[in-house]
Amino acid sequence: MLVIEKLNSGYGKLHVLYDVSLTAKRKEITAVLGPNGAGKTTLLNSIFGLADIYSGSIELDDERLNKMPPHMISRRGVSYVFQLMNIFPNLTVEENLRLVARFSGMNHKDIENSLKEIYDLFPILKERRRQVAGTLSGGERQMLAISIGLIKRPRLLLLDEPTAGLAVRYVDMLIEKILEMKKTMDMIILLVEQNVHKALKIADKVYVLVSGRIIFEGTPSELVNKEDIAKMYLGVG
Amino acid sequence: MIETLISGITYSSLLSLMALGITLLYRTTKVPNFAHASFVVFGIYTSYTLALLGYNPYLGTLLGFIVSGIIALILFYALLEPLRRRKSSIFILMMATLTYDILMFGIINIYADYLQTTFKIPARNVYLAPQDFTLIGLKGVTIVSTSLLIVLLMLLYILLNRTIIGAALRAVMENPSLAQANGINVSLMLALSWFLAGGLAGVAGALLPMYMMTDPSTGMLLIAPMFCASILGGLEQIYGAPLGGFILGLATTVLVSWLSGVIGYWIMTYSLMVPYITLIVTLIFIPRGVVSIILKR
Amino acid sequence: MFDVIILFITDLLAFFGIYLMLNTALNIERGYAGIPNFGLLFSYAGGAYITGHLTAKIAILLTGAKVEADPITQPVSALMVLNPILASNPLISITLLIIILLIGASFGALLGLIQLGPAIRLREDYLAITLLALGEVMNYIAIAYKPFINGSLGVQVPDVFSWIGSRYRFYLATGIILLIAFILYIYAEFLGRTPLGRAMKAIRENEIAAVSLGKSLTRYRAIAMIIGSAFTGVAGSLWTLYSGAITPTLQRFDWTFLPWLMIFLGGIGNNLGVALGTFIFVLINRLIIFNKHLLAGVLPFDIVWFDYISLGLIMGLILIYRPQGILPEKPYIPKNIRRKIVVSRSQE
Ligand SMILES: Nc1ncnc2c1ncn2[C@@H]1O[C@H](COP(=O)(O)OP(=O)(O)OP(=O)(O)O)[C@@H](O)[C@H]1O
Ligand SMILES: [Mg+2]
Repeated sequence: MLVIEKLNSGYGKLHVLYDVSLTAKRKEITAVLGPNGAGKTTLLNSIFGLADIYSGSIELDDERLNKMPPHMISRRGVSYVFQLMNIFPNLTVEENLRLVARFSGMNHKDIENSLKEIYDLFPILKERRRQVAGTLSGGERQMLAISIGLIKRPRLLLLDEPTAGLAVRYVDMLIEKILEMKKTMDMIILLVEQNVHKALKIADKVYVLVSGRIIFEGTPSELVNKEDIAKMYLGVG
Repeated sequence: MIETLISGITYSSLLSLMALGITLLYRTTKVPNFAHASFVVFGIYTSYTLALLGYNPYLGTLLGFIVSGIIALILFYALLEPLRRRKSSIFILMMATLTYDILMFGIINIYADYLQTTFKIPARNVYLAPQDFTLIGLKGVTIVSTSLLIVLLMLLYILLNRTIIGAALRAVMENPSLAQANGINVSLMLALSWFLAGGLAGVAGALLPMYMMTDPSTGMLLIAPMFCASILGGLEQIYGAPLGGFILGLATTVLVSWLSGVIGYWIMTYSLMVPYITLIVTLIFIPRGVVSIILKR
Repeated sequence: MFDVIILFITDLLAFFGIYLMLNTALNIERGYAGIPNFGLLFSYAGGAYITGHLTAKIAILLTGAKVEADPITQPVSALMVLNPILASNPLISITLLIIILLIGASFGALLGLIQLGPAIRLREDYLAITLLALGEVMNYIAIAYKPFINGSLGVQVPDVFSWIGSRYRFYLATGIILLIAFILYIYAEFLGRTPLGRAMKAIRENEIAAVSLGKSLTRYRAIAMIIGSAFTGVAGSLWTLYSGAITPTLQRFDWTFLPWLMIFLGGIGNNLGVALGTFIFVLINRLIIFNKHLLAGVLPFDIVWFDYISLGLIMGLILIYRPQGILPEKPYIPKNIRRKIVVSRSQE
């Protein structure tokens, strides 16, 4: 379980998040929604040790993550799929995956198994495994980015707008895949999404972040009933 | 003519070792290292000191690797890493390497003064060629510099492509934040690249006094050729550096010597200008280096 | 004692003036247009050496004096003829000075163009590499090409200040240096407020946006580099005229690194800050050099190297702890707009 309590964070003097508290459970998708610049990415950055934390705590299965450098957090089983620049563009698809797997300290057998799992989830990546990652299409690239996050079988997967800028068919497919991941893999998924409709369809729990503050917490259906919030900040309802 | 060619190959090998480090650092830290010449000069004084103490100056290649590697590490940890943490711009990082070059120039000169008073020798003219050995008609420095270049290139290739640390280094070159996100200690990898690059410059420096007259300001003479070789090969391509090193090295020696036969001896005086002209021509016509042309085919 | 103090102050002010010109130039290049000019030495040495090469020749033309000796290779005999004529003829001396300064400026500007030409469209780092590399060239040319300034021996130049009397010669020279430095400073400050200057700064702030605006990036960079290098060339000319002689030994440390140190100290982009940084630095530096003899026995090495190390350390500390300098740059808002802001605030 990921538990964040009264988190205040930002970048240097720029205070972005104010008293953010959030809980995300295993085998659930927790979605964080909000307008541009609300601080969604900053929330993920804070969890991953990439922002400055002024106060509050972040705990993963009762272990404090604050103050740890990113590479240590990564070794604690946290994967962060960035919004942009989330692949190694000059390596092939398989090199991307193997490289990351090797750093997670998995043994040879685990790597092969994990690789097979990923190719089962995204068959297209298996077809493209010898292709240089920089030449993949936008959707394929995003699948590779998520696979890079999955290959080490994380406890916590942070996804930052995985469907942003993709063609509709890819959006639907990726959303399906995320749902499938939740069912087959034992992990906490924290999903930041602009695509509110799609996110609400698969999320178990939703947080709405506006100007660095949580203004709503509940299930997707509760959010849809709160018409004011849904309309004002998310443009739905 | 043959003699010029051999001398050209020696010079090219030394230049390649220097350019290799510049390119490596550019790939990992994204900064042109203006202190690189200082790393070379520390190599020069390492083998010179060994020679003064009665050891074989070729031991200087090994010791020079370590000395210059450490000098580079100090630059990294004392200046670049704190600046990187503060998210300083590339410009500030460049300024920092330039500053370190100035600092090291002061230190090496103090050391030269010290040698001068201790050993009562002119420590500002370092020339070890008279002590060099010859083997099957070849000068020792030619044999050692070319074979060391080949060996070190192979070792570098193995390190980068066959080991986990090398894989981490490549990941850092490709996408540092993603590398960090996947458990790679980026700062440690950058430090490693500085140690390696400093070390390579140290090896080149240790061999340099066998090839030519050197002194603390030899670094100033080397800046243009080193960067020219590195850019000529392509700053984005590690293995472009030796290619650039050989093109420039042979142009400065063989080509100029041939031209002096054709045009007149006066042109030799201007052989120093070759790197500058090459640098400018490269920047205008192939700013991404020769390798970029080869790869396009 | 009094004489010593006057001497110290004159020397201090001359250095301050020369460095103020260089640093203002650097500030136009870096602070306005974002050019990382690590090769300031190129146009500075260019101005200094061309002055060494031409002053005597032009003096011969102006005075019509019969000089048998070649002014480059036999400067002493040439000056024996020229200097007395110049000393008794203020008008010719001043004309000579003005001609030489114009030549220094145009030669500097030309060198600036040569330096920037190949790299003008390239990224900042490539630009920095080219500029740094070229910075070292001028000394090689001067050493290799004997007829320029007599190789490594250097040349002496006719004295354009001695007409005021040898007693006041240095005061006059210093005064002229300060006057020119002041004019250039005012011009730089004025430039910063013109649309041209503001366009340059806008480009520096956001290179990517500026590139998307098309050619303007290269144009503004070229303009800034030409103006800056012209200033630098003038500074080089004055240095040679002030010293009375020049050898091809101008160093990157003194004429590139120290100017950078001073503009970092004062605050890049802010002319007043740069002037302040220059003054503070030159004052401390001259005090140390003036009292150098006190340290001479203490240190087991030449004190010059101590400069390299201490100033290198100071620069490192500035870069880490205060890269914006003593007086950070303030965005300049034109008066009419400032008034509008005040009005709109009071209406809120
Ligand atoms: N690395 C950074 N350094 C400094 N400030 C940052 C950084 N990243 C984001 N910010 C600032 O923090 C604030 C919140 O940005 P954040 O990226 O967290 O928003 P977001 O909700 O992810 O927006 P979007 O939907 O556009 O991705 C913004 O004002 C942004 O400018
Ligand atoms: Mg975001």
